[in-house]
This record gives sequence, structure tokens and C-alpha cells, in this order.
Amino acid sequence: MSEIKKIKNLKEFSTSADRFEGANLLCPGCAHSIIVREVLNATNDDLILSASTGCLEVCTAVYPYTSWDASWIHIGFENGSTAVAGAEAMYKALKTKGRLKQPDRVPKFVAFGGDGATYDIGFQWISGCFERGHNMMYVCLDNEVYANTGGQRSSSTPIGSSATTSPAGRVSYGEKQNKKDMLAIMAAHGAPYVAQVAPNKWKDMVAKIQKGFAAEGPVYINAMSACTTEWKFAPEDTIAISDLATDSLVFPLYEIINGSELNITYRPKNIVPVRDYLGAQGRFKHLFTKQYEYLLDEWQTRVDAKWVQLQRREEARV
Amino acid sequence: MADTMELRDIEVWDGNMAAAQALRQAQVDVVAAYPITPSTPIVEGYATFKANGYVDGEFVMVESEHAAMSGCIGAAAAGGRVATATSSQGFALMVETLYSASGMRLPIILNVVNRAIGAPLNVNGDHSDMYMGRDSGWIQLDAYNPQHAYDLNFIAFKVAEDHDVRLPAMVHQDGFMTSHTAQGVCTLSDEVAYNFVGEFQPMNDMLDLDHPVTHGVQTEEDWHFEHKARQQHALMTAVMPKIEAAFAEFEALTGRKYNVVETYQMDDAQTAVICMGTSVETAMEVVDELRAQGIKAGVVGIRVFRPWPLEQLAEILKNVKAIGTLDRSSPHGTVGTLYNEIAGSLFNTGVKAVLNNYIYGLGGRDLTKAHLVGIYQDLQANAESGTLTTPLQQYIGLRGPKLSFF
Amino acid sequence: MEKAGWDGFEIGAMLRSFDGAIQDIATTLPEDRAYSQANSFTASVADWRINKPLFNKDYCIDCQFCWIYCPDMSIISRDKKMVGIDFDHCKGCGICVEVCPTNPKSLLMFPEQKDEDEALAQWPQKEKKEKEAGVE
Repeated sequence: MSEIKKIKNLKEFSTSADRFEGANLLCPGCAHSIIVREVLNATNDDLILSASTGCLEVCTAVYPYTSWDASWIHIGFENGSTAVAGAEAMYKALKTKGRLKQPDRVPKFVAFGGDGATYDIGFQWISGCFERGHNMMYVCLDNEVYANTGGQRSSSTPIGSSATTSPAGRVSYGEKQNKKDMLAIMAAHGAPYVAQVAPNKWKDMVAKIQKGFAAEGPVYINAMSACTTEWKFAPEDTIAISDLATDSLVFPLYEIINGSELNITYRPKNIVPVRDYLGAQGRFKHLFTKQYEYLLDEWQTRVDAKWVQLQRREEARV
Repeated sequence: MADTMELRDIEVWDGNMAAAQALRQAQVDVVAAYPITPSTPIVEGYATFKANGYVDGEFVMVESEHAAMSGCIGAAAAGGRVATATSSQGFALMVETLYSASGMRLPIILNVVNRAIGAPLNVNGDHSDMYMGRDSGWIQLDAYNPQHAYDLNFIAFKVAEDHDVRLPAMVHQDGFMTSHTAQGVCTLSDEVAYNFVGEFQPMNDMLDLDHPVTHGVQTEEDWHFEHKARQQHALMTAVMPKIEAAFAEFEALTGRKYNVVETYQMDDAQTAVICMGTSVETAMEVVDELRAQGIKAGVVGIRVFRPWPLEQLAEILKNVKAIGTLDRSSPHGTVGTLYNEIAGSLFNTGVKAVLNNYIYGLGGRDLTKAHLVGIYQDLQANAESGTLTTPLQQYIGLRGPKLSFF
Repeated sequence: MEKAGWDGFEIGAMLRSFDGAIQDIATTLPEDRAYSQANSFTASVADWRINKPLFNKDYCIDCQFCWIYCPDMSIISRDKKMVGIDFDHCKGCGICVEVCPTNPKSLLMFPEQKDEDEALAQWPQKEKKEKEAGVE
């Protein structure tokens, strides 16, 4: 077992040497990149990475450039999880057979995928990897939309959001379905560790990533990734919007250990109304009309109910 | 360390067991697989070897064929020997990733136990899945019996993993007709077999932690064409010489001789049937009978389907008067694949042979010797008249009114 | 990278991050790395910017908020100190300015063509908080 990197505070963290490089093609203000940095910098161990087709993949490995300082693979939209699982299987095989080139170094295996690749098209592949128990971490960069292809809805797109395939219009308030509860599904696989994280809460994020790296078996991380382009806010506001998301409890931060023990890891001092979060983004603009105002109340009710449920589960310790 | 398995010089194996044994003897590092009829016993056999200590590589039973090839790609990019098996619908599900494997130049071995593709659903052998793979950038070798299925796996590893090649390879055998038909198979000892294949030599391996690599990049109009051209160049120029060298080395080791194009009684043949899989051996029996009657008939079997042996076929067929191409797959809207390929091989060569096409054996329908006798009679008539005396494409062994096109 | 012909690159469109071997990548700073020409570190997105952040070290408290939240690895921190901005990789998003907690801010956005000395000379003074302003 390798040593856990000591990160007492942000100053100490800032001595990290990034393994993700600039001049990638992600939008200015993209949260994906902030998340990737926080994940990679949480360890000094070697890394074997994958990405499913999506913003991160298409912006960081466009020939003849790579933005990755660790070995990295992309196959398709649905199979980033299985790509890294295959590499992990090869690691095990070569370890058994004594053919590893650097036998003393134990790499971490990490797959990145957007919510389209995770909640939708790659769902079965991820489930397979988790059922088989590969020693890997899957990080979903959850921006609640197919941002790479211009803003189509996914099963992570929340109710009332206007996406290009569920647009708001004269007789529609946009997306009709509620977001899939991916964390509960992954916890139900019996994964040793699953957690929801947000890049603005870097310390919470790093602590969870380190817990995940220390766990034996598949780890699922759902990372909220505020999307300046598709959520429609100014690029400099990425962290401010992320703060609204975590402080309104639209994105509560919690972890589930061994499929049962739930811990809430962030309790906002001042809980912000959900309408403040929604109102800061263009994708919800149409809700702030007389016609659809009732949806704002429904939103608040839903978020409140989820928060109560999480607290009950935390208390119940089951 | 995996245990050595003591084999008799000749074992009674079906094609699936022959393939499973070859994978065991090649000491594959990672097999990621998903079972599908009729290739399932390859995976089951391998699992049994693993369960009894004869395999020390990783065996990953995934949740679909797409995941099987995805896992194989990840494992191959990580740097080691990788193989799997599939058939039919599973092959179809895998197709997206087949292109990834070849484009990323990862030498994975895929045993394809050929089976029809639905609808309507059918579990039996035809060549629809094999044909579906023909543009995927893989090397495709075709076995006609369990012995071939065993031997060609070793050839496939040796060629695919060569650093001048670095392309994935399929070893095809006919569903049930080969995969489930037990025959005597001459074996190699574990040591001899492994030494023939050789130790895996990694290249651009992700697990070389001192040399990080990026696999599976995006290329657009400014780069994609060049990368595809480079891939085609390797498939077209590097593969055939390596296959021929591997065939020669294998013959020296075992006495069993393979050729890029297999021929039977072709030296003075006036008529020839060109086919693949188990049909080649049926046609050989028929040719023996025809030859006894003084009819100069021959058989051409495609051993290497991709890369296509265009020049070799042109040479073999240069004196033939009539050629019948036999396709065990519905061509859906045109002439059969072998018809097209042979026509393309002979065009520009001055060969004036009359060429026709037979669609046969779909969904595992038997190809009988009587069918082949009829085909050779057609070819004889074509040879004698110097022109087509039959429709260009005929369905044979089909119930109902005679079906033909063109 | 020069646009090579079909026979002029590695097979499988594979790219290497570094020239030669690198052992302790996680503790090797960019200036000590042998980046390959395929590494995007060697490229620039400076032309994406309309506005650029400028850094005034007089007010900086080295909190590192700008470092952690920069999406483009463009805040250069060494030995726990903020030392400057990597203008090859900064896309001008402005997050660093938004998260800067000092008063006045130690990072501000300026038009791309703005002269740095001029900007520093015109740096705003400490803003009084509303409460203090009310008292006066």
C-alpha cells in the first residue's frame, strides 16, 4: 500500500506538480479541469487513466497534442470504465507473472466520463466493472447535459432545465424527468466507497479522493461540474455557481461506505434558497415566469425532502 | 506459475477445445470474454483451465461482447498478450470496438466461431459475421477443421504481435461444423507451442510508468487520413510476408503446411470452386470423384481473407476457364463477397474465365456433395461455351422456386 | 507539431507525453520536465484571451485560491507562494480574480493589450466595506 499524500492545507496542496496540462481545448472557466486537477493532485502515486468520449476526452487528446502526463486511453463513448478495467486486469496478470517493468510502483486506475457516458450510454459497462470488483476509481464529471455535442439532455439533466433535445418552449418547461440517483445505484453495487463531490469544496473533494484511493475495489465519485457554456453563466462565475449548488443543497456532499454507511460531509452554515441557484443560470431562465413559477416551489420541496432523507439515513447508520 | 498440461500426440478435440487449448498454451495474459453460442465452449474451456491451475493470466468475464473487446483493448494497450472469442450477434455488438483495436494497433486475437446473424435468429454456422468484419482492419485467418483452428491461433499471435505488424487478428472456424465436431488434432507440447509463439514484447505499453503514453486520440480532417493510410500500409505490406514466414516456420516445426491461398488439384484445372471454411474439404472430396471421371476440376480455399491475397489468386486462377464463387452469407443487394473479390482480383489480368456466384448454406443449411457436383456441371458448361450458361448468381439448397439474379 | 506525411509518425496515433524516461513525475515541476513536442504544455492558447489577469504581489496573501481554482494550470505557485501567471496557457476566464479574497484584489482583469506597469500603477485602492463607509 502506497503512502497517502499529506495535504494539510491549500498552501501545502499548491506545491503539487500537475499531471494535467494547459493549452487543452476545454472552455475558459470549465469545471472539468478543476476537478481533474483536484483528483490527480490528491495522490503522488503513478496513474493509469481513461476517458470516455466527451468534453474532457475531446479537448485533451486532439492529435498531435496530449494534455496528459500519465498514461491515458480513450476507446469510445460507453467503455471508458472497461478500458481502465482491462488495464487493471493486465496489471494484475503481469504482477502475477513477474513481468511488471516497475514492480515496486502501484499505479492508481482512474476512469473519467461525463454524465452522458455515465448515466446513459456507459451505464452497463460501469455496472459490470463494479460488479466484478476491479480496483479502480470512476469519476463522473456531472454537468447534467451532453455539453460536448451542444447541450442535449441526458438522464442527469434536471427537471425544468432547457436542453436542445428537451427545449423550453411555448408549451413546455423543458426537461420533464428528474435526475437519476446515480450515487444510490452505485452504492447498491456494494462498492466500498461512493461519494458526491464539488470542485469548490476542494478539501472535501481531496479527502474523498484519498479515501477512494485507499479503498480496495471499485470507487464511484460523482463530481458536480458547473458548465459555463450549457448552464449559461459567465466563465468567471464557475466557483460562485458551484457554491450556490452546494449551499442550496441541490448538490449535497456526502459519501456512502460499503453500500450502507452514509455520511454528510458538508453542512452549509447558511442554506441558500434553490431559486437563487436556478436564477443564476440561463438554462432555468424560463422558470421565472408566471406560467412556470410553481416549478420553483416543487424544486425547493424536492431538495428539502432529499436533505431530510440524507440526514435520516445518516442517523440510521444503515 | 501455471501447471503444464500433458497432452497426447493426437487428441480428439472439437474446434472450440482446439482454440481453448491454443490460448492456454500461448499463455495469454488477459482474456476478457462473454459467452455466445457456438463459441461458448472456448470460454468455458479456458475457465476450466484457469480453475485447475493451468492458466495464471487474468480471466475477466464481462457483461457483453462490447465490454469484452473494450476490456481486451484496455489490457492490450496496458501491454500484454490478449485474446477472446465470440460469434454472430456478439460479433456484431463488438464491431465498434474492432475498429478501435485495429486503429490503435493493438494485437488482440479474436476467435470467431462463424454463425449467422439474425433476424431471424439462428445459432448455426454461416459466414455473415466473418464478412461483417472484413473492413474492420483486422487480419482474418480461416480454419477449415479443428486442427487448423488450433494451429492458426499460434500463427495469429506470432504475426499480430510482431512489431512490424501490431494489428489484431481473427481466427475463424465454422460454427458447429468445426466448433462442435470432434476430430483427431495433432498437438504441440506446452513448451514447444509457447516457444513458437514467443514471449510477448510490449510496445507503447501504458504500464511502462516511466514512459506515459496517450492512446485513442482524436484526429480530424488534418490527420485522420494519414493515420488510416499508415494502418492500411501495415496491413497491405507487412502482414503477408510475416504470415508466410510464420507458415514456413510452423511447417518446419510440425510438418503441417499452410498457404495464404490453399489449392487442390489446381495445376491443370479447367474449373474451380472458390470457398471458405468446411466447404473447402467437401469440395475436395467432390473433386476427387470428378477427377476419377476425367473432369479437370479443382478447389481454391481462402486461408487469409484479410489482407486479401489478390496477386496470389490472380496467379492461381490464370489458366482456369470457369470459376464458381461460393458465398455462405446473404449479400443483401449485390453479388456475393467472394464473387466481387475474385472479379476484382482478375480484372486487368487478361484472364477470360467465366465467373459466377452461388449463395449457399445460410443459417447452417448443409452443403451436400450433390450440390457441388451440380455446381461443377455448371462450371463445365461455362468453360466449354466460354460464356455464362447460368444466371450470374444462384441460390442453392433452397426450398421453393429456383432463385437467381442477374 | 509539423504536419507529417502518413509514414512520419508513430503507429496507432499514439502520443508520448515526454522525451525519454521520467520517474518522479508527481514531484517534478514543469521546469524540470522534458516535455515532448506532443505535450500540449508546449502549445499556447494565449490567442483565446480577450481580457487577461494581472497580478499585484503587494496585496497577495498566498492563500492559493487562484491556484486551486484555475482550470488551466496557469497560476504559477512555487514553495507555497504565488509567483505569477502562465500566459501561454491562461484562457482569460477570470476565475482567479473572482476567488481572490484580498482587498484590493491581487488579481484583476485587463484588456489583453494593457501594459502591465501601467496597470500596476493604476491598481485600485482598498475598498471600504459598507459598514465602515456608513460610519464615516
